[in-house]
Amino acid sequence: MTVSQSHMPGAAEHLLDVRNLKVHFQVSDRTVRAVDGVDFHVKPAECVGVVGESGSGKSTLVRAISRLMPNLRVSELSGDLRFEGHDILGMSERDLRALRRSHGFSMIFQDPLGYLNPTHRVGRQIAEALTFHGKGRSDSQRVHSLLEEVGFSDPKSIAHGFPHELSGGMRQRVMIAIALASDPKLLFADEPTTALDATVQLQVLQTLYRIHKERNMAVVIITHDLGVVAELCDRVYVMQTGKVVETAGTVDLFERPKHSYSARLIELSAHRINFRSAGL
Amino acid sequence: MLRFILQRALYALPLILVIIVVMFTLLHLIPGDPVQALVGDYPVPPAYRQAIEEKYRLNDPFLTQVWNYVTAVLQGDFGYSYQNQRPVLALILERAPRTILLASVGFAFAIPLGMAIGIITGTTRSANTDKIWTTSALIAYAIPTFWLGQLLVMFFALRLGWFPTQGIGPLVSRAHGFDWVLERGRYLALPALAFAIHEGMRFARIMRASVIDTLSQGYIITARSKGLTRGQIIRRHVLRNSSLPLVTVAGYAFGSALSGAVLLETVFTWPGLGLLMVDSIRLRDNLTVVGVVIFSALAVILMNLLVDILYAMLDPRIRTGG
Amino acid sequence: MTNQTSVPVSARLKSASDWGISKVGNMMGTRHGAIGSIILLLLAFIAIVAPAIAPYHPLQQTAASLAPPSSEFYFGTDNIGRDVFSLILYGARSSLMVGFGAALAALLVGGTIGIIAGYFRGPVEMVLMRIIELFQTLPVIMLVLCAVALFGSNFWLLIAAVALAIWPMEARLVYGQYIKLRERDFISAARVADFSTSHIIFREILPNAIQPVIVQVALDASIAILIEAGLGFLGLSDPSMVSWGQLLFVAQDYMDSAWWMSVFPGAAICIAIIGLNLFADGLNEIVDPRSTRGMGGLQ
Repeated sequence: MTVSQSHMPGAAEHLLDVRNLKVHFQVSDRTVRAVDGVDFHVKPAECVGVVGESGSGKSTLVRAISRLMPNLRVSELSGDLRFEGHDILGMSERDLRALRRSHGFSMIFQDPLGYLNPTHRVGRQIAEALTFHGKGRSDSQRVHSLLEEVGFSDPKSIAHGFPHELSGGMRQRVMIAIALASDPKLLFADEPTTALDATVQLQVLQTLYRIHKERNMAVVIITHDLGVVAELCDRVYVMQTGKVVETAGTVDLFERPKHSYSARLIELSAHRINFRSAGL
Repeated sequence: MLRFILQRALYALPLILVIIVVMFTLLHLIPGDPVQALVGDYPVPPAYRQAIEEKYRLNDPFLTQVWNYVTAVLQGDFGYSYQNQRPVLALILERAPRTILLASVGFAFAIPLGMAIGIITGTTRSANTDKIWTTSALIAYAIPTFWLGQLLVMFFALRLGWFPTQGIGPLVSRAHGFDWVLERGRYLALPALAFAIHEGMRFARIMRASVIDTLSQGYIITARSKGLTRGQIIRRHVLRNSSLPLVTVAGYAFGSALSGAVLLETVFTWPGLGLLMVDSIRLRDNLTVVGVVIFSALAVILMNLLVDILYAMLDPRIRTGG
Repeated sequence: MTNQTSVPVSARLKSASDWGISKVGNMMGTRHGAIGSIILLLLAFIAIVAPAIAPYHPLQQTAASLAPPSSEFYFGTDNIGRDVFSLILYGARSSLMVGFGAALAALLVGGTIGIIAGYFRGPVEMVLMRIIELFQTLPVIMLVLCAVALFGSNFWLLIAAVALAIWPMEARLVYGQYIKLRERDFISAARVADFSTSHIIFREILPNAIQPVIVQVALDASIAILIEAGLGFLGLSDPSMVSWGQLLFVAQDYMDSAWWMSVFPGAAICIAIIGLNLFADGLNEIVDPRSTRGMGGLQ
């Protein structure tokens, strides 16, 4: 592994800076290069999309960056990962936890039901993630204001309920509230709307966009749906088989795709985007 | 919740009836004289014979007999043990508390033991711990309880002389207060230990599997991304959720244990229901055998019912009718 | 499983029948499987050649009663002067026969009921599942004891009684397999192609359902051996056959004077159970390589 000592000019203004990230898994006797030398960066308050088909390594990319790897046999994990200049891969568990607890990064997932503890009330699960849990202003007040921020008009009853009592869209908004509880500077959203109904998808995306603007919080959205990218993102990375094949501003990408794979993705989703725009 | 309980109870009722009917039918299937089949190997004087024939109306059609038996059992009349010269129900009620005592003390040790081992081995990242666990779990599974009991007796009672080899202690005790507990405890120690080791290892296996399953859940990743420590994650998110299957298994196991840890009670000559069963089999006291089986089945069914209700209370998905 | 739909029926059948030879060869490749197979082969060998290798006839009463282990009596003698080592060698016969006999009987009964319930569904399924539940509710040992108490304990009744206790597990497993497989595409295809019901049940589903069932049979055999030992320990096994449990039954009265009467037969039971579970574990690894379960699902 080569840790680049010198930073590119302008790197300092990046919130997140990733160089030459490699993540390889050992699956029986085969090496799967899930992420194979990816350069990636996010500026403060920017919304970045990562698109690609399933298996392109986009989920692994953010899992590696946020150090939430699944329990697979990782045979190689290397690269230079910096969050506000701090080396993420070399970071101790304690420092990593501090980053997750406050003003660092959070994450939301595709299947909100599985990612919420079924036996805990919603309020408790949000309170648990609060930056200064149990200190200062009462937890329940802060939980309620978070729930209001993600669009619940009756935060009290939501906080008192269990995950299984909520609809899919409500669960995803609860996940967002949990993610916001640590006042993160960067939010990873891994296929945040894939498991939801079309109408609910839009609500959740709008909530996400509003919060992104209101909080000046950087967002990285991983999706296979270019429609999502078109609506939210400033910049896009297109991934194929573990590599970034194209990176561009959203408008540029849609108007002048350089890589044939990007062009095909756009073509495939064109129908859906038109459909969605009609619905707006 | 109330509906759930009623539903479960309604489900248990026919089960009980079926068991009583099946047991009576089994008694009937024994070849030979039906009176002798009920009484077993006890010589039947003519007066008894007549009494039995009248009581069970042995000359009536089979279905009438079944009906009579079922109504009798439901009223608590399991028949009369001629070998013991006492009603079967009295025998059962005398033995049951001892079995409950043994099972309760055994479980009181087995559950925390099983949970602790399950959590430690389930959350460990050390390959050595895992290896030690795998080996000891297999060996513990392969040791028959009664042999474990014999080994404990030979070592702790005969070799070291720390505990009595068998029995439940003097019928009438002169000790009081703490001394009394100590005196009883000495007799209880070895059977309870055998019980705790055997059941505890079983619970540990279930707990471990459950812990591993829980650790693979999405909400554990959420908890990690919240920045919780490993200890916090295990305490808050793993413990309770992975205990749920153990509650069920332990509850069901307790039901079976109430029906008599037959083999353990035999090793330690612990005069509970299990030993009553074995002794009755040896004496061919069939009414008592059937009585104990029906009573055990009742205990198991009621215990299962309780467990289902308890589970529903612990798991909000069922509690709130989701 | 989608690849199976594209494979012609005959090819699929062939691969299923090959399973026996090629995969059992693989057993030696997994560590647990190898140890388990060796233990089982050794036990089977001992059971078969017991008369040739036993130093004494099991019923022969020597002058030395309660003699401790020595070069003359490897595992000592019992209260009436029989050689414990020879008794254990002969005991392997009864334990293995009851173990495997009961497991096979349970497979037959449980398998049939599982297939009927799983394939035909409807009211038949309802009734059969209730019956299975009834048997699973009853404490196993009570069930077996009751059967033996009421009907006696010759060898065949013993097998039947033990099978009575374990068939519901087999039935549930087979039932689950059939429920799962009957909805698969290749079964629908077979139905559309108008194959007979028995062809679908035995030629189409069975080869695909059989693998976990075989693992379960090995586990059942270990449970059957434990139950048989328990019955022997209670003095309820067939009195005309030597069994390990029965030796422990006798040992119970001599714990203070002859530890060897208890320790060696008990260890023999342990070894047999360990062997069967490791064997099942090895089978399981071969049948389902993705499975992370060790020790035949024991963990």
